[in-house]
Amino acid sequence: MEENNITVRVEGLTRRFGSFTAVDNINLKIKKGEIFGFLGPNGSGKSTTIKMLCGLLLPSNGKGFVGGYDIMKESEEIKKNIGYMSQKFSLYDDLTVEENIDFFSGIYSVLNNKKKERKEWVLEMAGLKDRRDAITKTLPGGFKQRLALGCAILHEPPIIFLDEPTSGVDPISRRNFWNLIYEMSKAGITIFVTTHYMDEADYCNRLSLIYRGKVIAEGTPREMKEKYMTKDILEIETERFVEAMESLNLKGIETAIFGGLLHSTVDNADRSIPEIKKILGELNIKVMRVEKIVPSLEDVFVKLIEVS
Amino acid sequence: MFERIKQMIIKEFIHVFRDRRMIAIVFVTPVLQLLVFGYAVTTDVKEISTAVYDLDRSYESRELVRRLESSGYFNIRYFIKNNYEMQELLDAGKVAAAIQINRNFSSELKNNKETEIQMLVDGTDSNTATIAMDYANRIIGMYAKEIKTYNVSKSSNPLSPSLKAGLDVQTRAWYNPDLKSRNYNVPAVIAIVIMLTCLLLTSMAVVREREIGTMEQLMVTPVKPLELILGKTIPFALISFFDVFLVTFVAVFWFDIPIKGQILLMPLNTAIYLLSVLGIGLFISTIARTQQQAMMATFLFYIPAVLLSGFMFPIENMPEIIQFLTYINPLRYFLVIIRGIFLKGNGMSMLWQQMFALLILGISVITISSLRFKKRLE
Amino acid sequence: MRVSRIKAITKKELIQIGRDPLSLAMAFIMPVMLLLIFGYAITLDVNNIRTVVYDSDNSSLSREFVNEFKRSGYFTIVNNITDNRDIDKYLDSGMAQVAIVIPEDFSRKLKGSKNGDAMIIVDGSDSNTATIALGYISAISEIYSQKTKGIKITPLIEPRIRVWYNSELKSRNFIIPGLIAVIMAVIAALLTSLTVAREWERGTMEQLISTPVKSPELITGKLIPYFMIGFIDVLMSVFMAVFLFEVPLKGNFFLLMGLSSIFLFGGLSLGILISIVAKSQLVASQISMVATFLPAFLLSGFMYAISNMPAALQTVTYIIPARYFVSILKGIFLKGSSLKLLTFETFLLMLFGVTVFAIANRKFKKRIA
Repeated sequence: MEENNITVRVEGLTRRFGSFTAVDNINLKIKKGEIFGFLGPNGSGKSTTIKMLCGLLLPSNGKGFVGGYDIMKESEEIKKNIGYMSQKFSLYDDLTVEENIDFFSGIYSVLNNKKKERKEWVLEMAGLKDRRDAITKTLPGGFKQRLALGCAILHEPPIIFLDEPTSGVDPISRRNFWNLIYEMSKAGITIFVTTHYMDEADYCNRLSLIYRGKVIAEGTPREMKEKYMTKDILEIETERFVEAMESLNLKGIETAIFGGLLHSTVDNADRSIPEIKKILGELNIKVMRVEKIVPSLEDVFVKLIEVS
Repeated sequence: MFERIKQMIIKEFIHVFRDRRMIAIVFVTPVLQLLVFGYAVTTDVKEISTAVYDLDRSYESRELVRRLESSGYFNIRYFIKNNYEMQELLDAGKVAAAIQINRNFSSELKNNKETEIQMLVDGTDSNTATIAMDYANRIIGMYAKEIKTYNVSKSSNPLSPSLKAGLDVQTRAWYNPDLKSRNYNVPAVIAIVIMLTCLLLTSMAVVREREIGTMEQLMVTPVKPLELILGKTIPFALISFFDVFLVTFVAVFWFDIPIKGQILLMPLNTAIYLLSVLGIGLFISTIARTQQQAMMATFLFYIPAVLLSGFMFPIENMPEIIQFLTYINPLRYFLVIIRGIFLKGNGMSMLWQQMFALLILGISVITISSLRFKKRLE
Repeated sequence: MRVSRIKAITKKELIQIGRDPLSLAMAFIMPVMLLLIFGYAITLDVNNIRTVVYDSDNSSLSREFVNEFKRSGYFTIVNNITDNRDIDKYLDSGMAQVAIVIPEDFSRKLKGSKNGDAMIIVDGSDSNTATIALGYISAISEIYSQKTKGIKITPLIEPRIRVWYNSELKSRNFIIPGLIAVIMAVIAALLTSLTVAREWERGTMEQLISTPVKSPELITGKLIPYFMIGFIDVLMSVFMAVFLFEVPLKGNFFLLMGLSSIFLFGGLSLGILISIVAKSQLVASQISMVATFLPAFLLSGFMYAISNMPAALQTVTYIIPARYFVSILKGIFLKGSSLKLLTFETFLLMLFGVTVFAIANRKFKKRIA
């Protein structure tokens, strides 16, 4: 009994490895055509969840349905209707680009009359048209990822699972990759992505934040920022920022380092800005800038983790 | 430096034994191999299944058959009634020999006339066939002599030629008086079993790191090539040493193989032997890029090394060129040493030449392999 | 089962095999090397037995006795010693395997119509050689004994011995057909025992199991290319046996190839099963050594007659496919056996192949855990 638009549904999904609970009672509902992001630090249970949804791992508890099929009992049906890209690069290193594509075409039983068309499409999409004879091992990281994505969607599945597809890839390639994902989403394909890059979270339609196996927040990126941030965020640019951070924290102003800058969480920006300037001024720390910013998801996340 | 080596050795042990099954494999399979070899490898020929086609059915013919059977060499399984059965049984492999005694066997014997026995032997196993023929000849010959002597004594002619002096030859077998092939084979098996385990472990373990890519990781650390080599060979040397001990234990207490020589020579010689084996394992790891290649190369070396080592086939029966080749086979020397210690009670004085040769071989192999290994790393 | 998927897997394996020429070369070198070793380097025939002589008599009679040994061609006199204690030295060190000891009253006794004495010591450690040497010794002694009596005494019972199938008793004819079985068993395991484990280790298996490919398709797809290689190996081995070593092939060539294929199928499936169960290449290699090489070499009846083994071990040999294949090979080569005579063995080989294939299928799980 599926609501018409829900392609992936998960209730109370749990997975234990011995005494360690990797995934703890997760509930999810994903709509058709959505780009759904599963965010969390390493070891939070993202990969384990994806593997259960793809039928690669059996859950210890709970239920799940992908494309209407039960992940416990109908995993083979699921595999016909999904594309999966694993975290570790898992195409054949010793095969050429074209050979890899041909292989997965055969495996997914792509119809003979569509084989060539799909192959060319993937080559185009991955930017490998003139590298079809290159041995896969020799490709740079970004190209490998795109090839892997291409091979996963040769059979035009309605649902795709991508496990950290952009890890270790340069920012420009990452951006390009996400453009591809947008295209696919527009075409109605449901995309489930896991990532630990917070900036990529903004690209998703909806998110779930996972930490230590539990979902600690969910919603659209905007909802997350609005719902969970009740306080203001101030960004401070200063020299000797480590010292500055420590001093501010001592004075009761929650401050953390973000890159070479500081982010302080305060109740009221207008009151706190002069206060901070004063504190740092007394310590003779030069302040270049203090201003209120829109909280990023990273801020949200850090906050939520501290709370939990 | 020692700290780094120690760390690598520990890491290697963790790696190898992470899969619990490796513990079983590394320690159980050598013992298993010893047991199988010990029981299966027997060139002792006995209980040759035989068919008898006795047309005479006399006291004498039955006596001859009885002697054949009680010798322990022939196992009379079928008493057949016609020629056709004889053919069938041989064709089907149900018997390896068939004896036909003709109708006038006993009457001719009683009249001191020469008579014949037909024997058919399945030549497909020529080793058994040769030995079967030899046994048959001897048993029949002895029976014939007895009858002759009896006949002659009845005839009371003192100058009968058969009474002239003949030759009494006594034979004695040293070291293994019961001629049990097991005593010869089991100590040798120790050498063989260790070689394979050690070779496979060493070559595969190094190549595995290369295949997975962790070798690269190691290379950026301050670890030196020599330390890497030691770190990779010492764990397997230790495991192999333990295996030798284990397998020797089983050989002595389960198979009752006697050790006539000094037991302390075993660890010393094992160490020298392992030098060569580890060196070869290391060498294989420099030519193989994948574990598949390592495994195949290991077998490609191991099988001829065993066959041409004097383990089953005496080296002196091989063509000259091959005999020459065996000088670079460490197994050859170790087999002489181990058999010497177990069966002949040989001490250093007897064995030092073999030991010296083995040592030289070991040092050379390890040096060459290490140099190659070092080069490969750069 | 979809043929398209099997084809895809077969094609991929072939490409990968082609890109690893070293392994491929070794797969072809191994049979050739084994055949050459067994055909040329190894022989069970015993000759060139090192002998040392301690002759206290030193008469023409004693010298003639020693000469009989030399003349037989089986014994090589390495030294004539004058000190009793040297016997120990020679035998202990292995410089001699046989010592002929002739007492000083040897010729005196013979001339005086009494039986002469001689003692021959044999190094019993290698019991096979020792047994055969003893056989020679007794035959030679008998000949000499008759010579001293001056007459040729015909034995009362003359054994007429005929040897069937391998009438020249060429050990080569005996060994090589069985050897082909051993070669195939080892090759089959070497080829396939790492193939599944390798994909797990490299990570490509995880991708593969997320696709609709089914377990029988995967296994069949992997079997086919290695079957092709194995088949070429069999052909090569048979050709070498017949044309290089002149082992007679009395039976039907096509029957030979057909039954070899059945065996090959079983051997390769066993390799794949090992690969599936082992999950790591290191473990797989160790298991295949014990599960294929050892049984094929020791327990198949190839070199060591099964009937000489203890009963318990004989029972074990019933589940070793190489045992039946050795019978089949010897039968077809040396006895010209037809399929009718070999139905039992053939049936068992087929049963083995199908069973192992089925088990491999069941053991292969399309899950990580």
